[in-house]
Amino acid sequence: MWTLARKILLHDRIKFTVAAAGVSISVMLVLVQIGLYLGFMQNASNLIDHSTADVWVTGEGSENFDFSAPIDERAFYKVASTPGVARAERMLLGFGQFRLADGGTQGVQVIGLDPGARLLRPWHVVAGDVRRLGEPGAIVTDITEAPKLKVHRVGERREIFGARAEVVALTSGIRSFTTSPFVWTDLDSARAYTLYPADRFNFVMVEAAPGVSPEVLARRLSALPNLDAYTTPQMSARAQHYWSARTGVGAGFFTTAALGIIVGLVVVGQILYNGTLEHLKEYGTLKAMGARNSAILRVIVYQALISALVGFVLGGGLALLAQHAMVAANLTVKLTPALVVGTAILTAVMCCAAALLSVVKVLRLDPASVFKG
Amino acid sequence: MTTASPLASLAGVTKIYGDGDTQVTALADADLSIYPGEILLIEGPSGSGKTTLISILGLLMRPTRGDVFIRGERVSALRERDLPPIRAGAFGFVFQGFNLFPALTAQENVAIAIKMKQPRARNADAEARRLLAAVGLANRMHHKPADLSGGQKQRVAIARALAGDPAIIVGDEPTAALDTKTALDVMALLRSLASEHGRAVVVVTHDPRLERFADRVARVEDGRVIAVDTIAHPHAA
Repeated sequence: MWTLARKILLHDRIKFTVAAAGVSISVMLVLVQIGLYLGFMQNASNLIDHSTADVWVTGEGSENFDFSAPIDERAFYKVASTPGVARAERMLLGFGQFRLADGGTQGVQVIGLDPGARLLRPWHVVAGDVRRLGEPGAIVTDITEAPKLKVHRVGERREIFGARAEVVALTSGIRSFTTSPFVWTDLDSARAYTLYPADRFNFVMVEAAPGVSPEVLARRLSALPNLDAYTTPQMSARAQHYWSARTGVGAGFFTTAALGIIVGLVVVGQILYNGTLEHLKEYGTLKAMGARNSAILRVIVYQALISALVGFVLGGGLALLAQHAMVAANLTVKLTPALVVGTAILTAVMCCAAALLSVVKVLRLDPASVFKG
Repeated sequence: MTTASPLASLAGVTKIYGDGDTQVTALADADLSIYPGEILLIEGPSGSGKTTLISILGLLMRPTRGDVFIRGERVSALRERDLPPIRAGAFGFVFQGFNLFPALTAQENVAIAIKMKQPRARNADAEARRLLAAVGLANRMHHKPADLSGGQKQRVAIARALAGDPAIIVGDEPTAALDTKTALDVMALLRSLASEHGRAVVVVTHDPRLERFADRVARVEDGRVIAVDTIAHPHAA
């Protein structure tokens, strides 16, 4: 049956090429759009996901990780002295204006950490010494943001809101959701770079004492006045959810992906249906000679699955090319194994759904119609 | 011939299309039996009811009244879903337009019919080669329909009709699209299939030249089988 399906499908090469192109474009759109979405979401929770903290504490009612309400030193000490907290570190996340070498400015997202911070440190360090981050005015930037910051090597000096900054290390591939490049520094420098008051910051990262559940500790810390606390996975999900659901970003990506599926559905459905119409007499002859509907339907479904397979391989290849091309535009297309497998299943389902019209046609095909000329 | 039990019979079969004022009686009170080893021609003008008759005989259409028997079993009362296996065992069909898959070779066209009739068949390709050799196409097995002459296509269609070793071959104008010599060759082939293997061959035709191959001719007019004549010299080809 596979042979019959394949030969019928490939008999008209042009039609098959159109079907394969339709599925490929559909697959590519789904993979690239959802991959871009996942890439953006990864950036949205990048810092949280790379921390080793068990619980994150922030100002009450803060919905957006990137624009969190400031909290003060009293909050930090309350958190640090709560039973079950083994370690607490402050973190400031704010915006500053980075003075470029040519005199222009670039908005940056400043990450201020406690000196000797252990729960969150720059990762993927490709140059310099990240241990110097505690020195006043020491900053770490990302090499992939060099086109924006015009910083290419360790030792370059700049100003952020008029305060001195010296690049002591470079990372690679740490990008923010807001598209403002990250600048890592110590807590005091961060306050200077973001014009925060001396005792303000945004988060307390907490390491739970051995044997203490992060969920229990988060509930305990949430009971403190004017503070909210979340486990790290909860915090990560909140950061992603805000950008995805509250801004319409998710809807935009998924709408385009859905359009891709519709395109594939229509193209494959049209090609399979035409193919079925062209072979109606042959199918009718087989039915007349006693072939069961199920046997003929299998041929049609196999044609749909062959279209799905060829389209998925071609579309997957196109998505990989797009992923490579988008690196240059500083965009991450995150093709996870789950996305690839999910898209493969979706493609198969889409092509089988596209075959439904053909299936109905064959089911309704009267075998006596073969005598009607 | 009449001493043998019929392979298939129609008893008082009537077929009425439509209802009310638009009713059309396509076949009225038809009685007909098909015997092993014979070629039965069904002749009659266009619209006389020939196609309806063989559609009901081939279990492709249900009669409005009357009964259809296959090897003595009354099958006209069976449910629709029970008919395909009976058709698969009893009938092979040959058409004027061949109805071959253009994408498949001769061997594949026959093999696919074998697989569809007998999904568990393991030797479909070997059986297809055997059937094609039996109709004289041993050297054309890997040709596609577009590369075959009309006569060769009809031989492939006959080989396909033989898939599953059916007792009755039903031909709907199988020689109409062929030149005289090829048409006679095809009929000679059908004659040998009937004589040597005890199959019955039922052929709808307008062509009186085919009578030389036939044992009997059923004449149909205005929806009635008006006569069934025995041919005096059936094997004179």
